[in-house]
Amino acid sequence: MYKTEIRGKLISGDKSLGQISQDILRPIDAKTPRWWYAAMTMSLALFGWGLYCKYITVSQGIGTWGVNNTVAWGWEIVNFVWWIGIGHAGTAFSIFLLILRQKWRTAINRAAEAMTVVAVLCASLFPLLHMGRPWLFFFIFPYPNTRGPLWVNFNSPLFWDFVAISAYMLISASFWYFGMVPDFATIRDTTKSKIKKAIYGFFAFGWVGSSKEWLRYEGLSFVLGGIAAVLVVSVHSIVSTDFAVSVEPGWHTTIFPPYFVVGAIFSGFAMVLTLVTLMRKLYKMEDFITDSHVDAVCRILVFISLIMGTAYITEIFMAWYSGSEYEMYTFFKNRITGEYALQFWGMFTFNAIIPQLFWFKKVRSKLWVVFIISLLINWGMWFERFNIVVTSLSRDYLPANWAEYHPTWVEIGFFTGTIGMFAAGVLLFFRYIPMIAISEIKSVSKYDKPMPEPKIEHHD
Amino acid sequence: MTKKYLVGVFDDEHTLVEAFEKVLDKGVKVEEVYTPYPIHEVLHRMKKKTRITHAAFFYGLFAAIGLLGFMYYAAVIDWPLNFGGKPFNTFPSFIVVSIVATILSITLLTLFTFSARAKVFPGKKADIIDIRATDDKFIIVLDKDELGTETNTVTELFKTNGASEVYEKESK
Repeated sequence: MYKTEIRGKLISGDKSLGQISQDILRPIDAKTPRWWYAAMTMSLALFGWGLYCKYITVSQGIGTWGVNNTVAWGWEIVNFVWWIGIGHAGTAFSIFLLILRQKWRTAINRAAEAMTVVAVLCASLFPLLHMGRPWLFFFIFPYPNTRGPLWVNFNSPLFWDFVAISAYMLISASFWYFGMVPDFATIRDTTKSKIKKAIYGFFAFGWVGSSKEWLRYEGLSFVLGGIAAVLVVSVHSIVSTDFAVSVEPGWHTTIFPPYFVVGAIFSGFAMVLTLVTLMRKLYKMEDFITDSHVDAVCRILVFISLIMGTAYITEIFMAWYSGSEYEMYTFFKNRITGEYALQFWGMFTFNAIIPQLFWFKKVRSKLWVVFIISLLINWGMWFERFNIVVTSLSRDYLPANWAEYHPTWVEIGFFTGTIGMFAAGVLLFFRYIPMIAISEIKSVSKYDKPMPEPKIEHHD
Repeated sequence: MTKKYLVGVFDDEHTLVEAFEKVLDKGVKVEEVYTPYPIHEVLHRMKKKTRITHAAFFYGLFAAIGLLGFMYYAAVIDWPLNFGGKPFNTFPSFIVVSIVATILSITLLTLFTFSARAKVFPGKKADIIDIRATDDKFIIVLDKDELGTETNTVTELFKTNGASEVYEKESK
């Protein structure tokens, strides 16, 4: 049972169910605000620049990137892992908080899931173009082909990764979509515009809210929730095996799967926080994303931040404890004091130290501070991936092979292009899709009202 | 063929559940209940069961067997490749793909099952009894022909239990 006195109201403003629908759907019915056009133009400009860089990559080849024989994985893998990590929050949010019966998730899960879908799309571009000949990407499907048939290597983490990412994309998209069906029906039934009625009516798939539908809908959520929880853990574990099964110093560690999963949830929650603070300010959703919602996400972040700090220190400890001079070199020389020390200390400060500020209620309650810290965490998580990928590769066993890595403008443009794509996707989401799950919010609204007394029949 | 329905409109969950249970206790069959969000008391007492979770289990079982079988066929029978002297049947590492692809199969097949059984699919025209049921009203629909002479008592029961409206409607 949700205790309103202790945890704060889930929805403030004492709203009726009708008001809840109206308030959440207002941005869809209202005129598009000016800032939206400005932001969209900027995002599309970045996206277009990214497209140009992708064109250069495809037409001229991977040689336009800064990667070399030693550091064969550069920004592309860094960004890939970064986006996938961000993409973890949607499912983590919906599923883990569903399992833990956290009712406050209802205000945030829609945005988190939307973010997941866009982030995973951004992520998938990187390995796709890193293939060099992306038009032959279907070679990675295990299908009966005319080349033997030569099957793929089922032992390769790169193949596992392909399966995991495509499964994750399909599953999170369908999970997100089916959550929206009842809300599309609400738009269909409340809007005055005939065009909207037709369009949202189509996407509502004929939903009417009958008990037959709800019964199966609940069954479906139960099934998807249960199995997607496994997926959240498995996808990033698989991403980590891309590194962990190699023999590179700094990669070949057993801590990697849990370390990556926790890191992914950390960066994802930080991005969720970035988005909901924006959503709350820009669309005035204070009644749904209350202070206690922001507070709850901050508290989760401070907890995960402690795990991250522990993981970083464990890695360093294990390097020393293993007695392997290569491991020692990688951590103590290359990462902590080497030429990429900035990235290491950036990672450590932004992920393990700065989020500790969330212990203070004063920090948690200042929205702009929370917003800035959430951005810093995202940045820190990017540093983490850079730190893992580049430092290990640039200096491994054979000093003759040592090399430096610097991204070229094409790689940087590719990355900023995905940021533009992400921003554009999020803006479209804000504009055309109910950004808060209406039916779920309605189902928890009763916890804010006093329950009717249970009827006890008196016999005198 | 159109049918006549008796429609009771309620403003909140509690009054709906109360009236719903009283109607059921009278032995009247409730045709359907429309609500903005799932209400477990209603789902429980509508006496309908969903086997979607069982279906999902079997999808998963068959998908897992199929996937492992396929990988065994591809890696051991059809085109064995020697990776540094490792065994062809590297079962433990087949598990990874099996788990993820099984989850994918369960999700997609369960979605299709849901779509087929709940009749929620692209292009379906909504049969709306009361348009406010997806917004803020809770609706009980009874078949008027089956009610027969009970119509008046049920109408009365709805009204005394907090229905904001009771009306009759013809629909398919």
